[in-house]
Amino acid sequence: MSDVQVSNKAKWWKSADVKKTAIYWVILTPIIGYVATEVQLRSIGAPASEVMASVKSLMGIFTWAASPVAGLVAALALTSLMGKRHYGDNPPPDADHEIRNSPRAAATWVVVSTLLCLFALITGLIVLQKDSESILDAKAININVTGQQWVWNFDYPESNGVRSEVLYLPVDRPVVFHITSKDVKHSFWVVQMGIKMDANPGYVTETAVTPNKIGVFDVRCAELCGLLHAYMQNKVHVVSQADYDAWLSNRAALEGAA
Amino acid sequence: MTTMMDRSASAPGHAAGKRPLIERLNIVTALVLGTVSAVVVWQLALRFLPETPETSLFFNREDKISLLSLIGWFVGFMTGIGALIGPFRWALGKDLNHDENMFLAGKDQGIKRYFRYTTDHKVVGIQYLVITIIILFVGGTLAMLIRTNLGHAQGGWIQPQTYNAIVGWHGIIMIVATIIMITGPFGNFIMPIMIGARDMAFPRLNALSFWLIVAAVPPVFISFFTGGITTGWSAYNPLASQAGLGMNGYIAFICIFAISTMVAGANITTTVVKMRAKGMTWNRTPIFIYGVVASVALALPAFPVFFLSQIMSGMDRAFATSFYNTAGGGSGWLYENLFWIMGHPEVYVILIPSVAALMEMAPVFTRRPLFSFNLAVMGIAGISGLSVLVWAHHMYISGWAPLLNAPFMLTTELISIPTGMLFLVLIGTLWRGRLWMTMPTASIYALLWNFMIGGITGIYLSDVPADAFLHGSMYVTAHFHYTLMGAGLTGALASLVFWFPKMTGRMFNKTLSWVSFWLVQIGFNVTFIGMFLVGLAGQPRRVESYAEVFSRGNLITTMGAYTIMAGMLVLLHGVISSWRSGVKAPMNPWQSKTLEWTVPNPVPLENFETLPVVTSDAYGYGKAKS
Repeated sequence: MSDVQVSNKAKWWKSADVKKTAIYWVILTPIIGYVATEVQLRSIGAPASEVMASVKSLMGIFTWAASPVAGLVAALALTSLMGKRHYGDNPPPDADHEIRNSPRAAATWVVVSTLLCLFALITGLIVLQKDSESILDAKAININVTGQQWVWNFDYPESNGVRSEVLYLPVDRPVVFHITSKDVKHSFWVVQMGIKMDANPGYVTETAVTPNKIGVFDVRCAELCGLLHAYMQNKVHVVSQADYDAWLSNRAALEGAA
Repeated sequence: MTTMMDRSASAPGHAAGKRPLIERLNIVTALVLGTVSAVVVWQLALRFLPETPETSLFFNREDKISLLSLIGWFVGFMTGIGALIGPFRWALGKDLNHDENMFLAGKDQGIKRYFRYTTDHKVVGIQYLVITIIILFVGGTLAMLIRTNLGHAQGGWIQPQTYNAIVGWHGIIMIVATIIMITGPFGNFIMPIMIGARDMAFPRLNALSFWLIVAAVPPVFISFFTGGITTGWSAYNPLASQAGLGMNGYIAFICIFAISTMVAGANITTTVVKMRAKGMTWNRTPIFIYGVVASVALALPAFPVFFLSQIMSGMDRAFATSFYNTAGGGSGWLYENLFWIMGHPEVYVILIPSVAALMEMAPVFTRRPLFSFNLAVMGIAGISGLSVLVWAHHMYISGWAPLLNAPFMLTTELISIPTGMLFLVLIGTLWRGRLWMTMPTASIYALLWNFMIGGITGIYLSDVPADAFLHGSMYVTAHFHYTLMGAGLTGALASLVFWFPKMTGRMFNKTLSWVSFWLVQIGFNVTFIGMFLVGLAGQPRRVESYAEVFSRGNLITTMGAYTIMAGMLVLLHGVISSWRSGVKAPMNPWQSKTLEWTVPNPVPLENFETLPVVTSDAYGYGKAKS
């Protein structure tokens, strides 16, 4: 018994099963990594802010970091499936071993998963830190966001009480949203910019972003808020600074007239 | 039913024609008394409750009336089923005698015992199995309505109000079905035999926990016709306080269900701690038992919080208190905290027993020992311990406490370590096994696949910046279906096929089990991979219509959902036909080494003639036996 174990230990990597698994692993890992990353990142679409770009790269990094693990589990599963299979109503004879444990495998597994976990945590914390600092930007525009059933209202307090239902933002300027709700909980989601913050009645929450692309993007409500939740969406227009100023003065004049 | 026995003689101790009360109560008397009592309370409340002043914020009077009626239903139903006989007699100092206890255990009653307050754990197990199937059927039908409505983009054919009610109804009853789907049928029927006990520690509590669920179901069904649960299953306030009278059905449902879960939790935990067979040390206790205990023990701290959160919600509605009403000094964040303090342990309540059941089957179908039993126990313990510390990852973007995001991200990501241990145990057990290809064996592979996807997407969601994008989107919906359905339900269906011979005395039809397996698994992956993609593209969850860009993904998802439905219907057909006329099962069809396979079919009333003595663990497969 102990002899068998010793000799097994000495050349465990030479066994046919292990070699097969290693080959599967080497083949499967890049396939899983590539397919999972591509499919997900393509679905997300083009980012319209630095924040969204970092979300995309985070998801790519996590997928690639997880793919060796997924690849290994898939390789081991495949090896076992390719082994002796038995169909029928009566049990097959017992396996030719009674391995109950492998301290080395267990220890390696736990250590590696701990390291991966720490990696995910640290990567996430770095991005989180970067994102939260943007709220403190002194040069930022402030916009008050008010959710109510089932529409978003945007106030531009630095511009003579302009209010709109379609959000206008200048490109490449940091903007801080001060978000609240008039009735129930909503969630303010600027999809392509990767930011989301709940609108709570009676409280003001904050989130910040710097749009870096001119275009039309989506604002949606991401928290079930009653009957017409699905329709609580609108557009955000990211325009050049000049267009933004023109729009603001136009709106201010309109509202002054009204 | 195969366990049907003729009633050889009427129970002694009473004259013919006048049966004692204890023998006359059953589900019919319960339903009648429950309904009568609800109607009486309703009428009395209508007559005597004072009008609400005009200034009142919400519909106080109607809420009071409907909550009182639901309490009336509950008390009436539980009295009608006979839950009070024991306590009442005990209070009078005339506890039940032996014959009455035997009657309660369902001795010689044939099929009737399934409709009574029967204490035999095997009867309770079958009752749980049937009600789980019924609830899954209703929940699945609702899912199909949701998917049909989302099949094509703008303008579904269901009204928004009805649609929201369907989403909420689907959510809450599926959560309940998945919570009970392992620990109910198999935790009650199989677990006591597996540990070598004659019954549960508290048989009457066992009956109580089941009939509480039966009492809880009608309120949630009725709620659909009184405005519905239009808030999703999470019933966030203040949306819930704004919702119609249907919310009261939800509140009553949750409160009754929480009591049932607490009762079952105390009962199962006690049974396992105190009643394991002689020689069954903790090291020799099967891993499934650890899974069941972890599940119900997690429910013990979680469900009182859920109960409390709904009591407060009900008080906000009925008495205009303001626990959750910001204008009155409360906070919706309080509700969110209470809800998720229950809500996150609750997903592991669902998941752990499922994985543990597959771990139990793995050695049987690979004919080798379980790989690293200790790591399996540690994984289960680690997940259980950490799961009570992660709740606020559901609230990263709620604005409640941004400074706590980093610590909650830490605890959440730490869960990947014990979860990884469970993967290692399963994959290690498959390693160089002698595979016996059955539907449960295939389910182990399916679980590895689904749970891998569910687990890795969970890491994205645990990451605060990524969650700021993904939260509240279809991505989240797909993620938790991958864990609760892809992993949880897969384990439960495998358990059904695996333990079917012991529970019904007949083999589950092999062909049907395979057909349903492939339909469900392929349909499942099509459905929820499609849902991941629309989530990533920006579709929020719980919407009844969506932008045109999401059409293709939603169509794929709907087609996948129909495939799942086909698979589940095949499975249902398999259950019914095999139960009625399947091949008679031998005592131990899988040649398994756990104790439940050492008792004959049908399992006799107190399971064992002589209690077994255990001298080793149940995983002694493999050639090199000493």
